[in-house]
Amino acid sequence: MTTAADAGVVIRAEGLVKDYGDTRALDGLDLTIRRGEVFGFLGPNGSGKSTTIRILLDQLRPTAGRAEVLGHVPAAGGPALRARIGYLPGELAMDGRATSQQLLEHLVRLRGGAGLARLPELAERFGLDTSRSIRTLSKGNRQKVGVIQAFMHRPELLILDEPTSGLDPLLQREFLTLVREAQADGATVFMSSHVLSEVEIVAERVAIIRQGRIVDLDDVQTLRRHAGQHVSFTFEGHVDAGVFRALAGVEDLEVEVADGTTTLTCVLRGEPDALLKAAAPNRALRWSAHDRELEDLFLDHYRVPAAELRADEEVSGDGH
Amino acid sequence: MATDTDRQQPETGPAHVAPAPGVAPPGSVLRWALREQRRSLLLWSLAVAVVSGIYASFFDVMDPSEMDALIGSMPEGLVAALGYDQLGSAAGFLESTVYGLLGPILLLVFGITFAARTLAGGEEDGSLELELTSAVSRRRVVLERYAVLVVQLVVVVAALSIVVVALVVAIDMDVALSGLFAGGLGLFLLVLALSSLTFAAGAATGRRVIGLVVGAGVAVVGYVANALAPLLDDGRWLEAISPFAWYLDGDPLVEGIDVVGFGALALVAVVSLGVAVTTFDRRDLGV
Repeated sequence: MTTAADAGVVIRAEGLVKDYGDTRALDGLDLTIRRGEVFGFLGPNGSGKSTTIRILLDQLRPTAGRAEVLGHVPAAGGPALRARIGYLPGELAMDGRATSQQLLEHLVRLRGGAGLARLPELAERFGLDTSRSIRTLSKGNRQKVGVIQAFMHRPELLILDEPTSGLDPLLQREFLTLVREAQADGATVFMSSHVLSEVEIVAERVAIIRQGRIVDLDDVQTLRRHAGQHVSFTFEGHVDAGVFRALAGVEDLEVEVADGTTTLTCVLRGEPDALLKAAAPNRALRWSAHDRELEDLFLDHYRVPAAELRADEEVSGDGH
Repeated sequence: MATDTDRQQPETGPAHVAPAPGVAPPGSVLRWALREQRRSLLLWSLAVAVVSGIYASFFDVMDPSEMDALIGSMPEGLVAALGYDQLGSAAGFLESTVYGLLGPILLLVFGITFAARTLAGGEEDGSLELELTSAVSRRRVVLERYAVLVVQLVVVVAALSIVVVALVVAIDMDVALSGLFAGGLGLFLLVLALSSLTFAAGAATGRRVIGLVVGAGVAVVGYVANALAPLLDDGRWLEAISPFAWYLDGDPLVEGIDVVGFGALALVAVVSLGVAVTTFDRRDLGV
């Protein structure tokens, strides 16, 4: 199962398990990321994002399962493999009297000289004063240094853990431009976040991780469909909510009775036909329907117990 | 590096990738870690040189008869424990002050704190993460950061030795230069051995504090064991296990290099380095 079929696979994880003592951080994680895609990796803190990422960079060794990056097991790939990766840690720590220019030049040396030519351009784009000592830099400025060092040597794989944390909105946009440029140049981007809106703009596919497992993996369009719509009807008089509650695809139905009207709000997944037909016999005074944010879908996953989710084929889709 | 012709071959790999992805040339970690230590190394060298100079020059103003009277008034055991029985001679004086007490204390504080910080400390606070995820092997990070420890100890011991040699010549103390060389070498090996233990404990566990406790603990126990040994009837075994005894019991300033004692110190350093390299290579980092 190597060679031709794998030529297009940049990251592959199969049944990845990682235990810290008695705590299971990863519980059989499967993931396949193809060359050239921008892939969003979503989950709150503690869900296993950073553990997965640090396995890919050979900082951690899996308890069970297998990870492959650019066709190599991380530990076997060693420095030559890491030379092809740009990595931005989730918790970026740096200190010392050296200036960020000196630190970046050091990191260039650690990449065999790759990236030096691109430093001035990137520093200018992010408005980083590279002559200042690292210890005097704000969190946002340190994050700029982190982003620059990840991109400077034009790696074929970018692994970015919470890349936009600490960047103001303007720089977040600059960062997203950088991601698109890298992708246009053929690079693969694997980026994690705990906020979906950050990645849905650039990512084609998104995986949602919960308690060390992928609970949803799909392209952003499909996820958006799964997210459904917020629908609201205001009817004249009293309306039997039970009819609506029984409809397939209608969830979270809420009823509000006031001033001789009945207002129903719900989340609608799938086609609206049944809902509209159920509404038709009544006199509708107002109505609205708008797409839910993907963010809401993300939150759904953290509201429903994991066991239920795994059973729910409609939501988990065909991504894995 | 990405030219337009490169861009037309997406099949063979991303166009923007440099032709041969570079790995870190040897010495890149050493160079950076040493650079980060510049200021600290300079200050410690100066401090050690000044303190050694002050103490060594006391020998000139000391009145031997008063000294003998003072020592005669002290309990015999205490004199032996402090190593003051030799205080009257220049070599004995230097061995019990600069080489036996102040030099080791200052150098051990410097060496042990650095050894705990450079690997375990950096791993713990995350400041090593960019280095460890770059195109450099863990083994190289360990070896080059250890080399920075060695280089620094050589520099500080050299600073101490230069001042002592200058004073020995200036105030005409009766100590052979070969004895001073042996003393300096022994001091270097003592501090290297205990710093290496610290380094290895930190490398194996990823905890700076564990490194500090191991290094400082062995230093204190070793010092006490060596001081107590002459006071006990059955104290020989205490000397056998004390790194301080391996360093000083052969009277290096008088007798020269003690091959067995110095060899034992060097062995501790080498084994510790081996442990550091293998354990750091095998475990999870930054957990």
